[in-house]
Amino acid sequence: MNGVHDLGGMHGLGPIVREENEPVFHAEWERRAFAITMAAGFLGEWNIDMSRHSRELMPPAEYLATSYYEHWLWGLEHLLVEKGLLTKEEIEARVAELRKGAVR
Amino acid sequence: MRVLRAQDVGKVLLKGGPARVNEPVSPRFRPGDRVHTRTINPTGHTRLPRYARGRRGVVDRDWGVFIFPDSSAAGRGAKPQHLYSVRFEARDLWGPAASARDAIYLDLWDDYLDPVEVGGSAAAPPDTPHR
Repeated sequence: MNGVHDLGGMHGLGPIVREENEPVFHAEWERRAFAITMAAGFLGEWNIDMSRHSRELMPPAEYLATSYYEHWLWGLEHLLVEKGLLTKEEIEARVAELRKGAVR
Repeated sequence: MRVLRAQDVGKVLLKGGPARVNEPVSPRFRPGDRVHTRTINPTGHTRLPRYARGRRGVVDRDWGVFIFPDSSAAGRGAKPQHLYSVRFEARDLWGPAASARDAIYLDLWDDYLDPVEVGGSAAAPPDTPHR
């Protein structure tokens, strides 16, 4: 699709900042986002190309304002809802619980 | 539904999910062939970037037969076909301001490509039958 992910040739995005000794994950939640994406992928409900397309469906303004693993999470949530494994309400309820610090 | 158990994670990650397909599919192109990328604007997934659509390049090498992501992402099956590294001159993509010495190599599937007629100065229009 002609999405915002297809950045090749675009101007104005600034330089690519190279990080010395870049860690695989920059925060614990990124490690977890990667792990649950792998685990959920193993369910066999979708393939890697479907995962990639799912991330492309993120609204363009949101996509540009968020980081790599935020794209992963958005794509995963989209697939989980699309395949009927979770509902948006269930995800929102869990987020609300986490916000309150009721669960870890 | 498959479930990934903690003790299997290492094994599964090491195994990976190869996209290479062991099927005898004939290549439509050979290294050295001049090709023209198709002008497509699919609403689904594609790995042909916008800046390389409707451009001329040369097949540099044939990687073999792979799952076609455009089809696979849409749930329409693997549609295995040859994947090539295609060389584009920077000026053919970005115009005369680009360096004459720069080139970019893109991994492109058979379905993204049309042949450029040998000896012709222009690619055959899409409605011209191939000889």
